[in-house]
Amino acid sequence: MRTIEYLTSPELAGLYWPGVLTGLIVGVLGGLLSVLVVLKRLAFIGQGVSHAAFGGVGLAYLLGVTGATQAGAGALLAIVLGFSLAAALGIAWLSGKRGTRTDTAIGVVLALSMALGFVLLREAGRRAAEAGRAAPPDLESVLFGSVVNVGWSDALIGGVALLIVGALMFLLRRPMLFWAFDEEACEAFGTPGPRMKLVLLLLLALAVVVTVKLAGIVLATALFVLPGAIALRVSDRLASVMAMSVLAGVLGVAGGLVLSFELNRQGGPMIVLVLIALYALSACAGLIRRQSPASA
Amino acid sequence: MPVAPNTVQPAIEMQRVSFTYPSAPMGGVAQGPAIENVSLSVDPGERLGILGPNGGGKSTLLKLVVGLLDGASGQIRVLGRSPAEASRLGLIGYVPQRVRAELEFPLSVRQVVAMGASSGLSPWRRMPRERAAQVDRAIELVGAESLRDRAIGRLSGGQLQRVMIARALARDPKILVLDEPMVGIDVEGQRRFASLIERLSEEMGLTIVIVSHDLRTVATGCDRVACLHRSLHYHAAPGGLTPAVLAEVFSHDIEGVFGEVHIEAHRAEDCPDPGRHHPHACDGHDHDQGGTP
Repeated sequence: MRTIEYLTSPELAGLYWPGVLTGLIVGVLGGLLSVLVVLKRLAFIGQGVSHAAFGGVGLAYLLGVTGATQAGAGALLAIVLGFSLAAALGIAWLSGKRGTRTDTAIGVVLALSMALGFVLLREAGRRAAEAGRAAPPDLESVLFGSVVNVGWSDALIGGVALLIVGALMFLLRRPMLFWAFDEEACEAFGTPGPRMKLVLLLLLALAVVVTVKLAGIVLATALFVLPGAIALRVSDRLASVMAMSVLAGVLGVAGGLVLSFELNRQGGPMIVLVLIALYALSACAGLIRRQSPASA
Repeated sequence: MPVAPNTVQPAIEMQRVSFTYPSAPMGGVAQGPAIENVSLSVDPGERLGILGPNGGGKSTLLKLVVGLLDGASGQIRVLGRSPAEASRLGLIGYVPQRVRAELEFPLSVRQVVAMGASSGLSPWRRMPRERAAQVDRAIELVGAESLRDRAIGRLSGGQLQRVMIARALARDPKILVLDEPMVGIDVEGQRRFASLIERLSEEMGLTIVIVSHDLRTVATGCDRVACLHRSLHYHAAPGGLTPAVLAEVFSHDIEGVFGEVHIEAHRAEDCPDPGRHHPHACDGHDHDQGGTP
């Protein structure tokens, strides 16, 4: 078992553990947020937010922030987070205006940040080569993620993000759920709907940014859609849906990482494949459950 | 049904209220006001029906009263408070027109009704026992005990409506407002609805406002009827609704003809005491008949 070797041998443990730990944190984050993302049909917003991270990565490398040092990792994350938050707010603002549809708003923001990120990364690469500095990461690892690029500072930031998301979701569970269930009427019951939407978008941006380095810009959204989609297939009770979703997120990440170590493949795509296999299983289970007379 | 003494504060009071939706930025046609110069007063315990054509401003009026819309000119008071404050305090319960809620949510009927009682609770604690008891009482009131644990997506139209009424009753409000409650409900459901409203009014003394485009919904079981087509065209007991008034309210040619509140002149004789507690209702003339005819 290469997995055990990677995680126990003194030389390799420092390389793999941060990625594994961050992965498990991200699995929980995805599990917590994806139920609302699926139910509120925010999957495409998550896509917009994670792609905005690409523009942030490009800008960071152009500014010479590489993430190689502790301070660099923090600065890189701050820039990427800034981009993603701006994208989340931009989408919320654009789609809040009458006459602009949400999917149009996301399409615009997504394309803008991808174009920007690509141009900036190429420019950063050119300048780095001229100055003899280290080259920015290859496009592949930015787009699809990499376990070994994840350092302890990323794991720490992931832990803080999990604390923030977990605490806010617990404290705001009643108004958040009311807004999510009945956006149009909740304000008549004293629940501040627009504020809840904003909070959810900000939490989503934060969680996506923590995920991007591990799973990549293209695949990060899978973690914020699939666990919730899996859980909603197998249960229709809120408490068990939330528990199942977190379980699916963690299982998907753990299974994907084990597969990636054993088969010597990239982590991000393996995580997504495991999650999709779980989704297929849950769809079958859901079909059987719905056809059994007991639940009718 | 007795009307409260004159000194009692009105349940809902609107004074010269106008509201215009902000127009669309991209090539949107400038819209006129959705409601214009409406003055209206609802007594505690009264059942008021608001009748008018589709697009006549009924839902807008209701949304202003429950605090879903703001930015109206004029004054709106709900039990002496602003609509937003009244909503926050649970003084007013709202049953929306079409349920636009996400019905595939993994929520039980009990959980949805409990949402109606959730505002202002401490995030650190469970729902206090009295509030939880009121949630159960609301479910019993609408006769949905057997549906308590049913998933919210597995209800018929009539059942869902009763659950939405229970949600509106979950904080023990003083006023219940319902937007087009009869739309999409079968005959049996309508019968149940009518007897529920009567019970809520007579046993619990709730002030009830029902908005509808359908004359039958408001004419039976309402103490007074207000006819709204952008402005108020009639505000008195349903017995006085003549075909002429109805034709006027439902006529599409009416826009622009009556900028001001317009009241049929002959209704003045119905008014027992013109100087009563809401001098601004109906443009300075009070047409309250003071009870069920």
